[in-house]
Amino acid sequence: MQEATFLILTALAARSQHGYGIISDVAAISDGRVRLRAGTLYSALDRLRLDGLISVDREEIVENRLRRYYRLTPEGSKQLATEAARFQTNAATAIARLGVADGMAR
Amino acid sequence: MTDAAELERGYRRWTRWYPKTFRREHEAEILAVLMDTAREGQRRPEPAECLDLMTSALSMHLRPRVPRSDRSALNAVKLMYVGAMLELAVAIVILATVADLKANVLRTSPGLTEGEWHAVVIGQLAPLEVGAILSVGFWLWMAWSIGRGHRWARIVFALFFALNISSLLNGLVHGSAVYARPDLAIATLLCLVELASVAVLFRVKIAPSRPGASRISPR
Repeated sequence: MQEATFLILTALAARSQHGYGIISDVAAISDGRVRLRAGTLYSALDRLRLDGLISVDREEIVENRLRRYYRLTPEGSKQLATEAARFQTNAATAIARLGVADGMAR
Repeated sequence: MTDAAELERGYRRWTRWYPKTFRREHEAEILAVLMDTAREGQRRPEPAECLDLMTSALSMHLRPRVPRSDRSALNAVKLMYVGAMLELAVAIVILATVADLKANVLRTSPGLTEGEWHAVVIGQLAPLEVGAILSVGFWLWMAWSIGRGHRWARIVFALFFALNISSLLNGLVHGSAVYARPDLAIATLLCLVELASVAVLFRVKIAPSRPGASRISPR
C-alpha cells in the first residue's frame, strides 16, 4: 500500500470526511510532509472506492458547493489495520536492531 | 468577472481532461476542493495544479477499472500488455532478420534477381511489418477494453487468436519456417500468450454494466 493511500485511509479511520478535510488531515497526520493535490486525491479515492475500501457516506451543499463525505468500509478498516500492524512490526524490528547495533558500537 | 469566477473557469478547463462519467460524478466536488485549497487572491491554476489534474485525468483514462481483488481480469489486462510488447518485438525481429531471410530465399531460389527479391519484400515482409505494428495497437486497445469490462472484447480477442493461429499454421504448412527461425519462435510465443489470454478471459464472468464500476468479476 502506498503511503498516500495509507494516510487517506487513516484520515477516514475515525470519522467520515470530505475532500478538503482529507487533504488537511493527511497534512496534519504526516506533519506537513505529504500534501495531496486535488487530482491525486480524487484519483486515489476513485481507486479505493473501486476496491471497496471506502464508500460515500453523505453529501452536503455548503456555500453552493458540493461536499461529498467518504467513510471506510469494513474491508477498508480491515486492510488499514493489517497494514498498520505490518508497519508496527517492521518499525519494532528496525528499532530493536538499531538498539543491538548501538550496543555493539559502544 | 471576479477572481474566484476566473479561477474556477480556469480549473474547469483542466477538469475537462477527465473521462465524462467521472466528471459527471465528481467534477463539482473536485472544483470545490480546488477552490478551497487555492491561495488567497489566486486568479489562475498554478502549473503544478494543472500537471496534477492532467496526470490524474490521464491515469483515469488508461488504468483498468477493475478491483484489485479481481485477479482474473487484471491478469488478462497484464497478458494484453505482454502481447503488445511481443508484437513490438515481432516488428523489430522482422526488420532485423531481413538479411537472413534474403540469404535463405536466395539459397532456395538462386536465380532470383534483385527486382524479384524486392517483390518478395514488398509482397510478404511489408504486410507482416505493418500487421505487427497494427497488432501492437490492437493489444493495447484490448487491454483498455477489458480493463473497462467491455463484453465484446473477449469475443473480438478470441477471433483475433483464431485468425493468428490459422495464419501461423498456414505459414508452417507452406514452409515459411525455413526462412527465419527467430520469426517462427516469436510468432509461436505470441500464439502461446494469446492462448493463455483467451483461457484467462473465458474464466472471467462479465457482470452487468454499472457506471464507474468494473463489469468483469471472477466466477
